[in-house]
Amino acid sequence: MKRHELIVIGAGPAGLSAAIEAKKSGMDVIVFDENSRPGGQLFKQIHKFFGSKEHHAKERGFKIGESLLAEAEELGVKVELNATVMGIYENKEVTVKMNGEVDHFKADKIIIATGAAENMIPFKGWNIPGVIGAGAAQAMMNLQGVKPGSKILMVGSGNVGLVVSFQLLQAGCEVAAVIDAAPRVGGYGVHAAKVARTGVPFYLSHTVIEAKGTDHVSGAVIAEVDSHFQPIPGTEKELDVDTICIAVGLSPMSQLASNAKCDMALIPQKGGNVALLSEYGETNIKGIYCAGDVAGIEEASSAMIQGRSVASHVCYSLGYITEEEFNTKYDSYQEALGKLRMGMFAPANKGRNDFTVTDEGYPISKNLLAKGYMTEEELENFPAYNYKKAGVHPIIECTQNIPCNPCQDACPKKCIKVGENITMLPQIDEEQGCIGCGLCVASCSGQAIFLMDETSDPDGVLISFPYEFLPLPEVGDKGTALSRSGAPVCEAVITDVKKTKVMDKTAVVTMRVPHEFKNSARFYKPV
Amino acid sequence: MSEKRIAEHPILGEYQKGELVHFTFDGKDVTGFEGESIAAALKAAGVMVHRYTAKEHKPRGIFCAIGRCTDCVMIVNGEPNVRTCITPLVEGMVVETQYGVETKEAWEASHNEKT
Ligand SMILES: Cc1cc2nc3c(=O)[nH]c(=O)nc-3n(C[C@H](O)[C@H](O)[C@H](O)COP(=O)(O)OP(=O)(O)OC[C@H]3O[C@@H](n4cnc5c(N)ncnc54)[C@H](O)[C@@H]3O)c2cc1C
Ligand code: SF4
Ligand code: SF4
Ligand code: FES
Repeated sequence: MKRHELIVIGAGPAGLSAAIEAKKSGMDVIVFDENSRPGGQLFKQIHKFFGSKEHHAKERGFKIGESLLAEAEELGVKVELNATVMGIYENKEVTVKMNGEVDHFKADKIIIATGAAENMIPFKGWNIPGVIGAGAAQAMMNLQGVKPGSKILMVGSGNVGLVVSFQLLQAGCEVAAVIDAAPRVGGYGVHAAKVARTGVPFYLSHTVIEAKGTDHVSGAVIAEVDSHFQPIPGTEKELDVDTICIAVGLSPMSQLASNAKCDMALIPQKGGNVALLSEYGETNIKGIYCAGDVAGIEEASSAMIQGRSVASHVCYSLGYITEEEFNTKYDSYQEALGKLRMGMFAPANKGRNDFTVTDEGYPISKNLLAKGYMTEEELENFPAYNYKKAGVHPIIECTQNIPCNPCQDACPKKCIKVGENITMLPQIDEEQGCIGCGLCVASCSGQAIFLMDETSDPDGVLISFPYEFLPLPEVGDKGTALSRSGAPVCEAVITDVKKTKVMDKTAVVTMRVPHEFKNSARFYKPV
Repeated sequence: MSEKRIAEHPILGEYQKGELVHFTFDGKDVTGFEGESIAAALKAAGVMVHRYTAKEHKPRGIFCAIGRCTDCVMIVNGEPNVRTCITPLVEGMVVETQYGVETKEAWEASHNEKT
């Protein structure tokens, strides 16, 4: 039996962060992960994260993964890969399956950071080839470089469904529709809007009732559902798709905790069955902790802080840091977590659908929730959208209280302000002079900032927007301007393309459109 | 290159791939890149069905792509139940569709005996 002071189960953002924190204080720690590569879900995430600087906001998920790994390596954290933890037994004994053999380990403390598993919904033909999980789609396109399919139906409009839909488009796949049985889009409005403006239709209050095909998916039948989520006969629609991608939520993978006989409870806000934890992340069995998605479904950014917070308690209880040091660390981690857990998407608000106004008192867009994009009338309620001045200036279509502020940090002229509370909506400071650098457009994790210039070009209005697709348009190209719903609006001419290192792969493209389309043209399709 | 492969990605650029290698799928010569998953190489080659279930003979293919669901298992170099989504491709591999837990020939032979 091999002994360690701390065993961490899972090398995702939570587990790695915990191991780093513990190792830094000098503890003897080992990490097991059943995967052949560490990083958990992070390496599949290629979009810019939300949060603020301290949460690595604006960095892409896989980059955050790379820095975590580099930090772990530098410290000499031992990570055993292809090592599946089978069970946790009395006296913190752990069995691990490696290379086909089962090994026994023992520790003073154990941190369970096994993450989450994807939920499934049964429907006719749900298990024929071509019906895949959202995580599988991400693994295929972002890790293996292979398209999961050519025409895809996305089932689920939570952040995973929305983000993966966008990634499918980036990989060159067609997304036939995003559907959700709920009457409103579950994920962030900005994630929905960037998918909708490419022309992907959203069908809310819809479910998939059948995957067509024998050896592989050759179509999908969807139908509208009533308020009890039952399909309404006669509303069936067949979509021409070869792949059905399921993103209907995640559940904590808490089996190890329940096998260890920790006190468990089914908590819907946390996504399922979780161990009951103390404020320090400890289960009722002393020395066994949970951190990350296994403790309640959240985000990678919160998983990393939780990992560090829990590990700091382990360090304290094994005497590696003083009570005072622990209190300082714990308070700062809790503060960082607190900032992420505010706003209408806060874990505590999961399942709530009674928000009608933002924290600022602006009416929430109904169209955004029903169709994935906002109407011009709805946007007019928001000052950061309505801002007008001669020359170039930003217009911001970010209208929900989400924990995010890279726009504020990006602007060299301090034109954009979110403030202390990062879930407040960005505001434009009219005193500052925008120089049209486009950094706010490229830094916005939600791709919700545009630049407008109504006066500098005699031939029309110049609208700049974020662009993360290939091929990149070139100056002089003519194409079609698209509306927020992806409908063709008018002809557009590309007048500028900015792509610099700090923009980190988000190009800022400027198109010229006739004046009358200044409030409707938001995206571009080459002809 | 197969049109199912992403030639250049707007964020990830060009994918780092191993050497081009040859392997067989149900006796046919197929190419893929060393180190990618067998499932990725098959997907790029347009293969959807990895196995047929034992009792009901239902087709299965990639589902989770992270080694959890076992839908993608195949016979690799004669060994059944290999999770192709997490097994790296190696030059010369012999990959076969799995029928129950056997090759097609073995499954048909035992199936015919029973009927
Ligand atoms: C499909 C999908 C898409 C997501 N998209 C986003 C997104 O776009 N943005 C965002 O912020 N968040 C996203 N998330 C959520 C985010 O990735 C997670 O919140 C975060 O990764 C949680 O970190 P974690 O360390 O708790 O778990 P994970 O990252 O899941 O890591 C858990 C690790 O534990 C290992 N493990 C599990 N069981 C065992 C065992 N018995 N023995 C050994 N090892 C084990 C796993 O192999 C894995 O590496 C997504 C999650 C999923 C599943
Ligand atoms: S374009 Fe540049 S100067 Fe203008 S608001 Fe955006 S970041 Fe600030
Ligand atoms: S506008 Fe600011 S707060 Fe809103 S999504 Fe963009 S970066 Fe985040
Ligand atoms: S696809 Fe699920 S184990 Fe391979």
